[in-house]
Amino acid sequence: MAKVRFKVNGKLQTVDADGDTPLLWVLRDHLGLTGTKYGCGIAQCGACTVHMNGAAVRSCQVPLESLGGADLTTIEGLAAKDGGKLQALWFEMNVPQCGYCQAGMLMAASDLLRQHPKPSDDQIDAFMSNICRCGTYPRIKAAIKRAAGVPA
Amino acid sequence: MSAGSIDRRGFLVTTAVVGGGMALGLSAQAAVQGAQSVPWGPDAAFGAEFSPWIEIAPDDVITVRVPTPECGNGAMSQAAMNVAEELDCDWSKLRVAFASYARDFAEKGVYNTGFLSFFSGHSTSKLRLQKTLQLGASARERLKMAAAARWGVPASEITTRNSVLTHSPTGRKLRYGEVAAEAAKAGLLAEPELKPQGQWTLLGKKSPPKLNIPDITHGSAVYGIDVKLPGMVHAALMQCPVHGGKLKRHDPAKVLKMPGVRAVVVIDPANTAGAKGKTASTFGFADSLCQSGVAVIADHYWQAHKALAALPVEWDFGAGAQWQDAEAIYTAARARRDLGRGQVIRKLGDVGAATGKRLVEGDYATPYGENAALEPLNATALITADSAEVWAPTQDMSQAFWVTVDETGLPPDKVTLHQTFIGGAYGRRGQGDDVRMAVAVARQFPGKPVKVIWSREETFRQGRYRTPVVTKMHAVLDDATGLPQAVSGDVGYAGSRALFQMPLGFSDMPWFNNGVIPNVRLTSSAVPVNVLNGAFRGPCYNSHAFVVESFIDECSQVAGIDPLAYRLKLLAGWDKSWSDCLRSAAKGIGWGKALPRGEGLGIAISCWPVANARNSGTVVACAARVSVSKAGDIKVVQLDTAFDCGRIANADAVRAQIEGATLFGMSLCLGEELTIKEGMIAETNFDQYPIARMADCPQVNVHFDALSGHERLEIIGEAAVGPVQPAIGNAISAATGKRLRQTPFRKADLRWD
Repeated sequence: MAKVRFKVNGKLQTVDADGDTPLLWVLRDHLGLTGTKYGCGIAQCGACTVHMNGAAVRSCQVPLESLGGADLTTIEGLAAKDGGKLQALWFEMNVPQCGYCQAGMLMAASDLLRQHPKPSDDQIDAFMSNICRCGTYPRIKAAIKRAAGVPA
Repeated sequence: MSAGSIDRRGFLVTTAVVGGGMALGLSAQAAVQGAQSVPWGPDAAFGAEFSPWIEIAPDDVITVRVPTPECGNGAMSQAAMNVAEELDCDWSKLRVAFASYARDFAEKGVYNTGFLSFFSGHSTSKLRLQKTLQLGASARERLKMAAAARWGVPASEITTRNSVLTHSPTGRKLRYGEVAAEAAKAGLLAEPELKPQGQWTLLGKKSPPKLNIPDITHGSAVYGIDVKLPGMVHAALMQCPVHGGKLKRHDPAKVLKMPGVRAVVVIDPANTAGAKGKTASTFGFADSLCQSGVAVIADHYWQAHKALAALPVEWDFGAGAQWQDAEAIYTAARARRDLGRGQVIRKLGDVGAATGKRLVEGDYATPYGENAALEPLNATALITADSAEVWAPTQDMSQAFWVTVDETGLPPDKVTLHQTFIGGAYGRRGQGDDVRMAVAVARQFPGKPVKVIWSREETFRQGRYRTPVVTKMHAVLDDATGLPQAVSGDVGYAGSRALFQMPLGFSDMPWFNNGVIPNVRLTSSAVPVNVLNGAFRGPCYNSHAFVVESFIDECSQVAGIDPLAYRLKLLAGWDKSWSDCLRSAAKGIGWGKALPRGEGLGIAISCWPVANARNSGTVVACAARVSVSKAGDIKVVQLDTAFDCGRIANADAVRAQIEGATLFGMSLCLGEELTIKEGMIAETNFDQYPIARMADCPQVNVHFDALSGHERLEIIGEAAVGPVQPAIGNAISAATGKRLRQTPFRKADLRWD
């Protein structure tokens, strides 16, 4: 067992659980933040993407014991950070279908725009490696470009 | 409320607190957010009920309760849009909620309309559309009656707009919410006439985004896996990895002391209690039979998952272990097919009488495939001695409800089912095997809600897969025209279940039915195997479209006629919209332009669900531009799709479905294949089963100019999965000269120099 203190969406949390518990399940089962999704458990699909100390990580690969002092943002906290614009575009452009992957997509897109404020197609393709089974990729790409103010 | 059941208000409060401020029946918040959807139907009532479908609150928030769940196709929002068309209400204050199947049962079918009432789609089918429009019109007239009574004027002097009633002669106004309570009690002497389609102002005119998107983008939409209940425990499940096998031995003592572990339970199909009376499930129970397995129940999912991995388990694999690999199954299917004893499913003229000199022959195949919804299978169940309550991301509430009745043996009035949002389905969540397994686990841990989660690996291993198809096609071309004078086609299915051996997209193609090919003989056979197959977005159609349209392309090549022109000849006497679709897609892709070596164009057409009737189904033509590198890597550069579903209710929702289904089909034919090793599915995660990603995405263009305007508003979720696959295959043939007769294409050697 490990007792670990870290920040989630600006709020200090202490979680006492098995040290190898992935952040994904810490968020979902221990903190009730179910916006972060389980998709594959092996860092393939990106549905569990959150921000750790400002950068996108796949939370299924981050064990609780490594989280001491970390500053985390999840989809529930994205609007308060800088996600409002992306979230509004996701609605306006009717991006999600089933929506299950979209929390991870938004967290990844937000970090992409932080690193590349005017991303090229290749940069978007390389960075947005999350899986969407419904096939919303063209809309995600279009929404990212509109958010960045680059031509569609 | 039965003993042991959750106190509902307790549940709502808990969820609201933990879930971060969902508007659970709080009308003020709902009004602000405009789009809240809560998964417990009529219990969230907060206004005046006009019908089981419609509730109007004092603050003008209108709730539409929808029996068809939301799996991404916009079915719920569409139902609300239908109601709003006649109700003349303020769209920004409209919310949707899930109808309750328990209520439908208690009130004898109040939500039951048309084909597959509780299945996730079909929201614009004729009966459903008419019913939802009528509900809106009826509520509107009752609001008018209530306002007329208040003002003491004839209802005919009152107009409605944007949730406001106006007395035209005096200009007096009332909001819907102000008279809702009285209006809900008013009775109409006769149901009002519906507007003619030409006067619609919302349907076909506007494209509002899905109502649940704000919940999705803020992480507050509740999918099945997100359900939270007081006292809930978590279970990790493992069913016999060879379908039909049985648990032989396990050693719970090895894991019972691990942190958080509460119990290890065995799931035995012999313990299915069986429904005691008549049932009304949508699909019957044959595709949701209980599977032998074992589950670990723990405080948290990760603890259960770890303990299950550590649990020593031995299986009796049974007859399924005979299949060394998938190829053995396909070989058996071909052998059965080639016995020549298949059932004749289409016969026209006499194929033996054809005399042309040019023959075309091909043996095609598509493999097992996994639906791979991104939300792994799961359901939550609370079972007591005399009640069952289930929360599930089911694609069909009726099915999930009756499966629960069947597994527990409880009377239906003791069973409650709560619909949640669905993290993808594509047919996988219709039969209710997931719900049955969750109930079977929870029955052994009574009095506590048990959330049962299939790991991704378990979801892969316990699929109800795309039915594999092996099809031999043979044509004799007419010496003069080059069109087929005779076509023989023999399809062989590998599959456990006859329900998923569908001929759609094969024997119903117009040219096999309308005499343009005078001699046709198509047969169907199947080899039963233990590997469970099921519904997969456009079941079997998703394979047949590839076979038929690759074969027609081969015929055009042998005839020496341009593939587009060839199809236009075949369709010359058929609905013009088919040709329009082909022309539109061809125009979009730049058909006929010269391309460098290694690049090619391909085209194909198909229709779901019914192709051999006039003005029927959704016709989709797809044109593909593909480049193949010297190393043999395939890049789909552009896809142009044109379609005809008659008319459309929400253009952007339709566009989204066509885009998504096109990319779904592209992913399927490029990379997706399940193989088998000693009776078990070998691929168990996305690293082994490649699904198309952003970098695989071509330019996708969807064209609306082939829409016929016919009065049907046909379903559009499946059709586009079909033609994209042969379009890409045909383009590869054009680019490389190599004809690929089986998918996935990325497993073929396409190197050139």
